[in-house]
Amino acid sequence: MRLSLEINGEDRFSLSDPLTPLVDVLRDEFFLTGAKVVCREGFCGACTVLLDGQPAVSCLVPVGLAAGCKITTVESLARDGVLSPLQRVMEEYDAVQCGMCFPGMLMTLTGFLARARNPSREDIKEALVGNVCRCTGYERIVDAALAAAQATVVEG
Amino acid sequence: MPEPSTAVKNFPRRDARDKLRGHTRYTVDRGRPGMLHATLLRANTPSARIVRIDASEARKMPGVRAIVSAVDAPGRHGIGIADHPLFATGRIRYDGEPIAAVAAETLAQARAAAAAIVVELEPLPAVISMADALAPDAPLVHPDWRSYEVLLEGGARAGNVAWEATVVRGDVDAAFARSDVAIVESVYRVGRQNHVSFEPRAVIASYEDGRFHIETSTQVPWSVRNATARLLNVPPSQIRVTVPAVGGGFGLKFDCALEPFAALLARAAERPVRLVNSRQEEMLTCLCRENAEIRIRSAVTKEGEIVGREAVVLMDCGAYGGEQIFLTTMTAHTLGGNYRLGAVRLASRAIYTNTAPNGAFRACNGVYNTFALERHTDEICAAIGIDPLAFRRHAVLGDGDLGSTGQVFESDVLGPMLDRMAELRTAKPSKRPMAGPRLYGRATTVGTWFVFVGPSAATINLNADGSATLVTSGVEIGSGSMMQALPQIVSNALGLRPEDVIVRAADTDAGGYDVGVGGGRTTVSLGAASMAACVEVRRKLLEVASEMLEVAPGDLVLADGRVEIIGIKGSGATIVEVAERAQRVVGPISGSGSFTGPGVVAMPGCATGHFIDAIDIPVFAVHECEVAVDPETGHVEVLSYAVVQDVGRALNPRAIYGQIQGGVVQGLGYALHEEISIGAKGRIDQTGFETYRTPLAQDVVPVEISLYEGAPSIGPLGTKGAGEVPILNVAAAIACAVSNATGRPVQELPLTPPHVLALLLGNKPSLELPHISASWRDNVFAEPSCVARAP
Ligand code: FES
Ligand code: FES
Repeated sequence: MRLSLEINGEDRFSLSDPLTPLVDVLRDEFFLTGAKVVCREGFCGACTVLLDGQPAVSCLVPVGLAAGCKITTVESLARDGVLSPLQRVMEEYDAVQCGMCFPGMLMTLTGFLARARNPSREDIKEALVGNVCRCTGYERIVDAALAAAQATVVEG
Repeated sequence: MPEPSTAVKNFPRRDARDKLRGHTRYTVDRGRPGMLHATLLRANTPSARIVRIDASEARKMPGVRAIVSAVDAPGRHGIGIADHPLFATGRIRYDGEPIAAVAAETLAQARAAAAAIVVELEPLPAVISMADALAPDAPLVHPDWRSYEVLLEGGARAGNVAWEATVVRGDVDAAFARSDVAIVESVYRVGRQNHVSFEPRAVIASYEDGRFHIETSTQVPWSVRNATARLLNVPPSQIRVTVPAVGGGFGLKFDCALEPFAALLARAAERPVRLVNSRQEEMLTCLCRENAEIRIRSAVTKEGEIVGREAVVLMDCGAYGGEQIFLTTMTAHTLGGNYRLGAVRLASRAIYTNTAPNGAFRACNGVYNTFALERHTDEICAAIGIDPLAFRRHAVLGDGDLGSTGQVFESDVLGPMLDRMAELRTAKPSKRPMAGPRLYGRATTVGTWFVFVGPSAATINLNADGSATLVTSGVEIGSGSMMQALPQIVSNALGLRPEDVIVRAADTDAGGYDVGVGGGRTTVSLGAASMAACVEVRRKLLEVASEMLEVAPGDLVLADGRVEIIGIKGSGATIVEVAERAQRVVGPISGSGSFTGPGVVAMPGCATGHFIDAIDIPVFAVHECEVAVDPETGHVEVLSYAVVQDVGRALNPRAIYGQIQGGVVQGLGYALHEEISIGAKGRIDQTGFETYRTPLAQDVVPVEISLYEGAPSIGPLGTKGAGEVPILNVAAAIACAVSNATGRPVQELPLTPPHVLALLLGNKPSLELPHISASWRDNVFAEPSCVARAP
């Protein structure tokens, strides 16, 4: 069976079994290796992508269920090599260490900031409840996300 | 050479952008054309004799290209003693031990074939805990321990004691016999900690032109090269190790791991082979921070002089010695650190058990010995009625004081650091009101760590476009030292911009020998080797420039991409012009340099079985925290956390802040909720994130940080490694604060809510460690003797 998928705004086709975890299809078939497999159990958030704008852990989503959704991965955040405001502020704040959690962090925060109105530090931490980072101790990621949120408020 | 201070800047990291875009290809993201997928067949019993392994049916299964087992890898490796074969050989020693490896066209095919391998076992009795292992007549994990090749002489060992390191300085019996001392005795126990590095151990290997190419997620490319050679019984020169970006290490990847399996399979199948641990495999066979048990006793005068101290530390190495053999050395410098001691004797023993081997983890050995030492110090203060802060200010190591092995410490560092912490404390209101009706506690702890120096090599090619390529075997594991500190050091020495320094990813065919990334050594050892390489590059560059400009080399400086005549801005030529000319006239400019620890004197005869008798670069830390303990649930909330860290010179302060925040949070996990238990069958109970709880964003607070600069260091530009030490005294600070809040002695970690609640309710029986004899001598095979002389 051929599955039609919309990945980062493009129509793609997959021949995978519909029960294959979306993350494996993204990584192994389309070489979109941004989403990371860290736990495969839905706990770490490193495989987070957006499905119709909502953060979802792609290790638990069968690809068959993602057909018909707009799938957005971290690779699409920068446009024409220009970082998204959230990516830019993460770079400015020197937030990245090993970097493995960032694709998932960025997708969760991108989804969250698109909806949140003037979020507080606590709101951001709450939004990250499903995203583990083993390196950074979080605070700088939160600082950066807060700065991005405030910039949006100012610009908007 | 230019001023060291001009090297200081918050240089951003080159690798951040691709990591943020999801473009970075870690080992787990890589593949090669024609690549096979591999899996390991692992034991599911802790101890058994292997009667028969039959892979004949498995070999015929679809897609299977190679199956290898013990017969294919005859060697043993290890640290101190070569006790570790690649595959279980003759017997199973731990649950999870590899028995065979399979490569097939798909992972599913490899797994199916592994499941079809027939393994006939005969159960043997197992020792699961260190108490089991030390019991009289305990079954031996290694019945033939005597026959193993000894790689470092000096450690006493017998039966289930894999290694024993001792320190004896002065007359401890006399100190304890004094009539004017209080004697305080304590026991402590800690469990294991899993690194949970986000990228699991992963490797892709191939066999090309009669050599192995191993691409792997490691901190130690040269150890991988050498251990793989030993295990496969091939010359090390037949192995090339390259390392892409590493997705977290924390010490987990400080040892050879999956590489030899993949290499063997690649040679057998004549195809590239990929082998990646699942998260469950990472949890069950992680090379955790070891569980440990500690008995410590001190004789202290009422003025607070520690006239005598003795301790026994048991470290569980699991089924094979591994890193723990080396780490027995550390007790002398961690438990034996922090304070001025009269007579002292310490025993540190690595114990074999039928459990998964342990390994290195950030500030290895230090975190629990510091926990024990600082809790013990608070117990001493309570016993003699001295304020813990006043005691520490008076008793910490200072200029000219002797370490436990008799090394002489230089300069007062810990004392002024405690003063700095006092300033931070008074500058801000206490968070006590945030505790509300909960129990409130505060504690300040000190810690001693060191930079693990050792050999490093560096080569620098100065390119004709004015950039420099730095070739080393250093690995960027996330801490930024390769991406930030090294370019800053090199660019400062050569008058370039740090962004013009290209850092070559580790490749043992290109860079010279290196101990590896760990122990806070990258900035120091690789930095010093790079500085030495810069000296040669500078000399060559200035010679050519001197001819061009007709000025003596001594009258020239390198700065801002130019070679200038001292004192005349804008004079001279650009480095590009000089490098281009050099290329034409004398050939391209390059330089190489190397470094190793110069070694510091200890007292002869004090330390036995140690890999390092004295520490080249001590590093100190002072931590303070405030906690609130909920008396209803036992939940501990961290209200504030502050760190004063000895960094020598902070080359990139912002990067160091990031390391401190991250290291403290890993320490909070260890102190509060990262718990590993081992079932009766020797299997680790925690198999993933659901059962092993690492800190989340909501668990943490921003750490207040003050970098203490200027303490002596042989590191380049006065640096000390800053990434290792932030975790060192977190468990100590939290445990002392919880003890202060609850009024109960904290003897064990982690302080999970049930644990704290049991303490509060008085349900927690006092810890007993009957297998550590109260008489120190009964715990050791051999007692060195060394009588302290006045320094
Ligand atoms: S890999 Fe999907 S949540 Fe961890
Ligand atoms: S940066 Fe390493 S896990 Fe977050």
